[in-house]
Amino acid sequence: MLEPVNVSLESLNLMTLAPMLIPIIGALLILIIDIAKSNLDKTLYVGISLLFLLIDFSALLSSAGVFAQDGTIMGVFDLMLIDGLAILSQFILVGASLLFIPLALTHKRFHEFSYPEFFALFLFMISGFQFMVATDNLILIFVGLETASLALYTLIAMHNRNKSFEAAVKYFTMGALAAGFFSFGAMIFYALTGSVELGQIATILEANNYADMGYVLVAVVFMLASFGFKLSLVPFHTWAPDVYEGASAAMAGYMSIVPKIAAFIVVMRMFEFLINSGVVWLEVVLYIFVVVTMTAANVWALVQTDVKRMLAYSSISHAGFVMVAILIGTTQANSALFLYWILFSFTNLGAFSMLWISRQKHLPVGQSSDHSYNKFAGMIKTAPVAATIMGLFMLSLAGLPPFALFWGKLYMISSAVTAGYTVLALIMALNSAIAGYYYLKLIVYMFMKEPVVNQDGTVYVANATMSLKTIIGFAAVGTIFAVIVVNPLLEFITAFVYNSGY
Amino acid sequence: MLDHILSILIFFPALAAMFGFVIHKDSIRAYGIAVSAIEFVLALWLWFGFDSAVSGMQFMEFIPLIPSFGINYILGVDGISLFIIILAAFFTLIGIASLTDTKNVKNMIITLLFLQMTMVGVFVALDAIVFYIFWELSLVPMLYIIGAWGGPLRIYASVKFFLYTFAGSLVMLVGMLFMAYFYYQATIDPMTGVGVWSFAILDWYRLILPENFQLWLFAAFFIGFAIKVPMFPFHTWLPYAHGQAPTIGSVILAAILLKMGTYAFIRFSLPLFPDASVYFMFPIAIIAIVMIIYTAMVAYAQEDIKQVVAYSSISHMGVIILGTFALNVEGITGSIFLMIAHGVVSGALFLLVGVIYDRRHTKMMSEFGGLASVMPRYATIFGLMLMASVGLPLTINFVGEFLSLLGFYQQSHMITLIAGTAIIVGAIYMLAAYKKMFFGEVTNEKNKNLPDVNKRELVALIPLSIITIWLGIYPKPILEPINNSVESVVQLMHDKAITDEAKSRIPNLIKEVEEVEISITSVEGAH
Repeated sequence: MLEPVNVSLESLNLMTLAPMLIPIIGALLILIIDIAKSNLDKTLYVGISLLFLLIDFSALLSSAGVFAQDGTIMGVFDLMLIDGLAILSQFILVGASLLFIPLALTHKRFHEFSYPEFFALFLFMISGFQFMVATDNLILIFVGLETASLALYTLIAMHNRNKSFEAAVKYFTMGALAAGFFSFGAMIFYALTGSVELGQIATILEANNYADMGYVLVAVVFMLASFGFKLSLVPFHTWAPDVYEGASAAMAGYMSIVPKIAAFIVVMRMFEFLINSGVVWLEVVLYIFVVVTMTAANVWALVQTDVKRMLAYSSISHAGFVMVAILIGTTQANSALFLYWILFSFTNLGAFSMLWISRQKHLPVGQSSDHSYNKFAGMIKTAPVAATIMGLFMLSLAGLPPFALFWGKLYMISSAVTAGYTVLALIMALNSAIAGYYYLKLIVYMFMKEPVVNQDGTVYVANATMSLKTIIGFAAVGTIFAVIVVNPLLEFITAFVYNSGY
Repeated sequence: MLDHILSILIFFPALAAMFGFVIHKDSIRAYGIAVSAIEFVLALWLWFGFDSAVSGMQFMEFIPLIPSFGINYILGVDGISLFIIILAAFFTLIGIASLTDTKNVKNMIITLLFLQMTMVGVFVALDAIVFYIFWELSLVPMLYIIGAWGGPLRIYASVKFFLYTFAGSLVMLVGMLFMAYFYYQATIDPMTGVGVWSFAILDWYRLILPENFQLWLFAAFFIGFAIKVPMFPFHTWLPYAHGQAPTIGSVILAAILLKMGTYAFIRFSLPLFPDASVYFMFPIAIIAIVMIIYTAMVAYAQEDIKQVVAYSSISHMGVIILGTFALNVEGITGSIFLMIAHGVVSGALFLLVGVIYDRRHTKMMSEFGGLASVMPRYATIFGLMLMASVGLPLTINFVGEFLSLLGFYQQSHMITLIAGTAIIVGAIYMLAAYKKMFFGEVTNEKNKNLPDVNKRELVALIPLSIITIWLGIYPKPILEPINNSVESVVQLMHDKAITDEAKSRIPNLIKEVEEVEISITSVEGAH
């Protein structure tokens, strides 16, 4: 006879699941409402989503409080790992989602928002990402990643442009390949150590002093490729501009933030111990990845004729910039990653939202894309306020002080300086200068050229409603006055990262 | 109120610019003049409240900004920055007052007021990051002024201006981060193992760095500053910017924005890296000489009067650099004085070019000739400013140039001799330009009936003429406060210098053998 399984509910710590379950409940509620009565207005679903995200946010606040007191919490047979990284990244995930959802309340009708499934999938996706960051179990990471990704592919495909299907299929194909790579890498780790938990894997590998180095390297290569796709590092970036172009501007902005922070957390958990293992090879490879991603994406961004594609490449470059934190791996660098990403999500979501409110139902006459540079020519004459706000986001993305992203860049470069990566710090600085050019290009079009396509300023706010304007105003205020929040944010982040042992 | 006068000086124009959005465009000019006049009065008030006998920082303000990373809002003013602030306030006033009717005058005035905020901010900031904020922010209004009101190549010129300076300053930013890190290293408490982050310039002054660190950091800061000055060979953006910018843009650019670079040399490079300054003294002096001679030659070849003034402006910046790197009291005092003189004179010259451009919409000298008989008052003022520009004794420029050269004479006779000769020979191109424009017969029909300078233009030009002569004859009220602050900088450099060469090159002003209390902190442990 086997011993009866005896598990006390308290040791399971089911409360650790609460933040992930809340959006799932919200999603199910939306589906139930749809079955009970269909053809309800999208405002209802937006409201429900917002409500559950807010509850999710407060649940996170309470677990942050618990973490600050008791340190890392494990739960559900040690599957769940609620440490500082998990909490911080979930704040970003849910916060960015809170900013995204109101963007559905557009002036023009876009058919994806009329389906309740859109919102249900959206909430499922958030839950998937939350699972992904709140565990160090490779299987759960995989499940979270796939839940979120599959939902995201569908959300992209629901947009009403021909290119949206192309984008979704492209993203799906690449994503499937990445998932394959991930599972293969995880398999090798399991074969080597008999465990699927990153903490255990690290301990066992260190205990036998990385005896099977060859296998470890193979596993690392697969993992790197997998997350290279997710983080759109060069040369795994090729899907990104097309997918951004096909997705709606709001969704593209969302994609540049949320999936990437989730992937960053996993990468941070995984590569932290691998880099410390003393494998020079990995450091060199990461170094090359970082520099190539930053630089090449910047150069491609220079030659784009469409603002959205430019922003896509710029997002790739920003991801490369932040990847520096993984390479360096000090507490300061990891804190800089969070600071950067929080400030980046404000600014980038703001910039994409500006594209979103200028979106028309159909492609502009004689234009092959929705947001060509020409569209924005002379905007200061016809829509001065919108032009100023857009210019503000561009300056912030370029890293001009005192706007939001400057502080992120400052702290990130400082962490490179502190860790002794002098050349890297210079490369980062010079890349910011290159990036200045393409952000400036849009400013030049908006402020210094005469209107060519649009003589009428209403085009730029065609899609605007109160809720969109609120979000943009929020992002703009955050961008300008970031300096006020940087200090408390930095202290909060540093404490959380430090107490998680990173 | 005098406690917070520096903050008021910075943010009053910005606040006023915000309110400017609601002012009707017909009244905006009066509003702009009123605001900049108040700002100017405030700046004068600062001067009266300023204690000339004190060599250190005055009116200091401190607000924690990001204390956990050592970034704080620290302001202060000393003799070095005081007059440049007044100059900035003065030129904004003059610029707005003399603004001729342009399109979008409302946008222009609001932009100018924002620009004024950044200009004042640069000169009073005592925290490197706050300094950097204003330094970078000043690019945006200028970008807009050149790009929106400039000539046919305006977009190229403005983008070049922005990117050139932006790239240079980012390298400087890395240097600043290194300084903060070294400060952190030097202040590590052996008990706790935790240091203090600080970007405060006055904290950095206490840091003594090994020579090889100094050389690298000096180079990083140098790139940022040299592009701004602009020093040869980084000067290529300036002729474009001047050539395309509207009059007001050129005036502000030449009078104030370029001074940021030379001011930063004195505020950062010299006291932070005394040994590196000595090490690079002669290379930089040679660059300065090349700057003086080469740009003078280029100026001589120009056919556009504005380009002549632009290149002569670069040429004189070379003298300022030379004086700065004399590393003694005479030289640095002279270079600061010359900054103000250069601001007044080149600002006035650009205004004068603007006067003729408004009438004829061309800047080609071949279009003019014999203007002296048509516009006698204009010719007189132009002549006066031109004489000041070439450094005629009893004009403002002479004092500065003389002191700068005197300072460098103590370091090298040869280089000073070459520089002095170059300055004198430099008079040729100015006089030639003057001859082409003002003397001879009026050959061009269009010039026959040009009206002479009108009242509004006189309002701007007369005060500048008075200052040019007044400070040329009696420079003492300005020289004295400058001198006091410079002495303390030179003494600080001498005390901090570690190599023997630096000790001997930088004079010790305290004659008695008395060790100055300075906390010597080593950063050998870094890296």
